[in-house]
Order: sequence, then C-alpha cells, then structure tokens
Amino acid sequence: MTPAVKIISVGKKNGPTTKYSQRNARRRRTTFIFLVAPALAWFLAFMLWPLLNMFYISTTSWSSLNMPKKFIFLDNFVRMFSDPKVAIALRNTGTYLLVGILGVIPFAFMLGFFLSLRKPGYRILRTIFFTPSMLSVAALAMIFLGIYRPDGMLNSFLNAIGFEATNRVWLMNKSTALFCLIAIDIWGGIGFNSVLFFAALASLPEELYEAAKLDGAGYWTIMWKIAFPLMTDFIGVVTILQFLGILSGAVYMILLTKGGPGTATFTLGFYLYDQAFLSGRLGYSQALGVMIFFIGIVVIVLIRRASSRLSD
Amino acid sequence: MLYRITHITKRIKMGSDPFVIAGYCFSMLYAALIVIPLYFVIVSAFKDNTQIILTPLALPSALDFSKFIQAQVSVNVLRAGLISILITTGAEALTLILAFPAAFAVARIQTRLSPVVESIFSLGFLIPGLAILLPVYMMTAKAGLLYHPIALVILYPAFSLPLTMILLAGFMRKLPRELEESAVMDGGNVLQIIYYIFLPICMPGIITVLVLNFINIWNEYLFALILIDSNNRTIQLALALLRANQRSIDYGLIAAGVVISMIPVYIVFIFFQEQIMQGMLAGAVKE
Repeated sequence: MTPAVKIISVGKKNGPTTKYSQRNARRRRTTFIFLVAPALAWFLAFMLWPLLNMFYISTTSWSSLNMPKKFIFLDNFVRMFSDPKVAIALRNTGTYLLVGILGVIPFAFMLGFFLSLRKPGYRILRTIFFTPSMLSVAALAMIFLGIYRPDGMLNSFLNAIGFEATNRVWLMNKSTALFCLIAIDIWGGIGFNSVLFFAALASLPEELYEAAKLDGAGYWTIMWKIAFPLMTDFIGVVTILQFLGILSGAVYMILLTKGGPGTATFTLGFYLYDQAFLSGRLGYSQALGVMIFFIGIVVIVLIRRASSRLSD
Repeated sequence: MLYRITHITKRIKMGSDPFVIAGYCFSMLYAALIVIPLYFVIVSAFKDNTQIILTPLALPSALDFSKFIQAQVSVNVLRAGLISILITTGAEALTLILAFPAAFAVARIQTRLSPVVESIFSLGFLIPGLAILLPVYMMTAKAGLLYHPIALVILYPAFSLPLTMILLAGFMRKLPRELEESAVMDGGNVLQIIYYIFLPICMPGIITVLVLNFINIWNEYLFALILIDSNNRTIQLALALLRANQRSIDYGLIAAGVVISMIPVYIVFIFFQEQIMQGMLAGAVKE
C-alpha cells in the first residue's frame, strides 16, 4: 500500500548528482505527491472547481437549475455596464469598504500599540477586545437587531440622555441603514485587528524603542516614527483581510435589511445573492461574482503596492 | 541597585504619561462599547419584551429560563446544536486527516513541488465564499446531497485547508531534522513516521488548528443557509429563524438563541485564548 520510501530527509544540496541521488529525488517526489494528493484533490474539487464553474456560468443565460442553460458569451458583462443596480451596488460597496476600513485600521493600530506597551490591565483589555470576533455573523446580526430596532437599546439610550430628536428606525432609514451595518463590522473589527497589531508589535525587539526614549521621544512619536514604518507591510495584510471580508459580505443584508430600504444597503455581495437565490438569474449572478473576484484581486495588488511603497 | 531605582522611577513617570492616560481612556471607552451590547443580549435572554424595552440594561428581576424553553419549542435548538456538533466534528476530523500528511510533505520533504502546492492552497484566501456559493449549490444538488448535513461535512474541510496547511506546515518546519532521520534508520516508512512521531509532537499545533477551525465551522452561516433545509438546520440557522418565526419580534427569545449559540465557542475561547490569537496572527502574516 504505502510506498516503501526509506529516505525522506533532504539530500545534501551541493552533493554530486549521482544516479543514486537522482533516484532519491524521484522517490522523494513520489512520496510527496502521495501525501499531498488527497488534500489537494479536495481543495481543487470544492474550491477551485466551483470557481471555474463560476466563470463558465457567467457566460450563460440561465433561470433555474431545472432549465437548460443558454450560452451567451459576454452578454451578461455587457449588460452589467448599463445596469443601474450595478452602479448603485458599486457605490454602496465602495462606501462600505471605505468607512469599514478607515474606521477600523487606524484605531486598531493605535489600540494595538497601546496594548503592546504592556501597561497594567493590558491582558484583560486584550481579552475584551477579542471577544466580538468569536461571534458568528448570524449572532452579530441578531445582537444588533436588538440595538437598532425602533424600541431597541440605541433609541432608549438616546432618550435617556435627552436626544429624543435623534430617535429613528435605524435600519429602515435610508440615510442610516448602511452605516448601521458598517458599524457592526467596525465594532468587532477594531478589537480583532488591535489584537493582531498587538501580537505583531510585541514581537519587535524592545531595544528598538530604547534609543528613541533616550532621545526624549514620547510614545506618540515612537508610535508613528518607529512602530508605524515597521508595520506597513502588516497594515497592508490586515487591510486586505478587512477588505475581503467586507467585499464578499452579504449576511447582514440577508438577515437585516434585504438590501433596503430602497437600495440603501444594496451591495454587490447582496446583489449576487439576490440574483442567484431570489431572482432566478443564475448566469447574471455569476457574472457579478466574476466582477467581485477581479475587484478583489486588483485591490489586493494595489494595497500590496501601496504598503510596500510606504515601507521604502 | 542604581539601575533598579531608575527603572522604578521610570515606571512611575510613565504612569502619568499623557499618551498612556489617553490610551487607557480610549481602551476603556472601547471596552465599554463591546461589553454593553453583549451584556444587553445576555440579560435580555431572561426578560420579556416590555422589560427589554423599558429597562434594557437592568438586571433581570428573576432568573427566568422561559425564553430558553421557548427557543427549544419553536426551533428545536438542542437538535440544531447536536447537528452542528456532528457537522463540526466530522469536518474537523476530515480536515485533519487530509491536512496533516500534506502539511508534513510540504514542510519536511524537499522538492520543487513544495512551493507550488503551498501557493495553490494560498489561493483559497483569495476566493470569496459568496462567489462559489451557487456552483457549490449546483454540485451538491448533482451529487444528491442537497439538504443533507453530510454536504457541509464534505465542504467545510475545503474551506479550512488553506489555514490548516499553513499553520501545521509552519509548526513542522521548526522541528529538528533528526526526528525523521532516526526513524528512517529504524526502517519506518513515511506513514509510520507521520503517525508515530509527528502526530504526538505536533499536538500543540493541532490543537490551535482544531480550535480555529471549530470557531469558523461552528459559526458558518451562508453555506448552511443554502445547503441545509429546516429539518437539519444548524445552530446558526436556528438562531436566525427565531426572528422569522414571530410576526412581532420577541427579542428575549432571540437573545436566548444568541446566548445558546455562543456558549460552546466562548468555552473554547476561555481555555484556548492564547492559541486562538497566535493562530489568527500566524494565519494573517502568512496570507
């Protein structure tokens, strides 16, 4: 059953390439393939194959699983350009991304830096900051439903401090609904990312700050002049994670707003979901998926570039 | 001696540093913003609607478990929890069986294929789940597994593999070379080396991976929503259903559902906090 590979440790790199070591290399490769194949096959079958399928379906016109597909090549993509809903979804997603990233990363970095100073109480603060990331999207949606609903916690808090005028139906108000959903991401996102920053900053050698301290630099200066430049790559990574999470998010819309009121929370992710599972336009939904996929790749490359330029 | 004194005075001085004071202020403010909604949900689970609306932050007047019972009656949370436990266990086991040998190969066998395989798995981080939702739904339907929990047991390992591979391979790379060399001398084959030597040594890494995957799988909502029907609903689906069941929202009921769904994850969090944080950091850095 198992290949009788006896020698799997690395051959000497600059040893002579005798027949023996060549055979060795071949054996190593056979073992390697034997061990990797099941995981790789699984991953290809349930991740990459569906991805390829997305591209294929995006070139068809298709209304439901029982109906035949019609190949229409790029028509779905042509239609996207004149679809006013795409424009709305792009704008909402853009707002979501901008606010959801700018509202998280700077605060997370500063809080993470503060935590990394290991002042008394930093452990308990770290634990508290991290707790929201243990919650599922469904639980988050349900928690914030209780906060945003007409007689929910937010309105009763505003009443209690005498701001009755700002009382509103948060999730059914065109000007607040989108920001209410973004706020859920910011609420947990700052904490999660601050702990990531903490861990990354804590791994820096302590002497780095010492010289600056001797020069009389305060923590504020150290944070921006020493810690920040060292963290630019990591900030890039964290931004990418935050970005991808928001870009392919749809659950808050599915559970709380259905893209409404009107089109206030109608994002690309929700549009895809709506077309695929509510409106029966399968081909078009996957064309939206292709667009989301490429927006993701392009923005990741841009963020990588920006963060490596910053670190130069 | 002198060093110690300056050290102590330095510490005292830093205590009154305006940056540190501001840091504490913002940290406390943010901590309060986190704690209050969570507290609100937990106390709401023990109240009825009028109490929740009139005194949202007051402690419940009595330890009233009727909302939990109601949650059980209306969406059968116990059954949903059991199904979630089964799915999670199955998917965890499958992930480990697939990933462990593969991670060993990537980390310990030197071939030119190794970086190629690693970058294929890293692609997983770039694929938005939403984009493959429909193709996965079609595959499941074609395989005749639609609405069957097995579909999720098969699917979730594919999602977990990238992070699992990265963390396990990273862990194994740090181990000394002599480990397998001595086994090779004793005539062990690869699978024996993996099973008898690496599996026990890698336990800390395995635990981190299991814990992270547990959180992700337990909390997964979107694919469960599409692939599972109401007979086999997972705990997350049951939670969301608590709202749909009523015409007017019974928030105490929803809160009870939230609390039930949170309990297993927070138990794990209490015991494995350090591993979770380190694991998520390692995942982020490698990505």
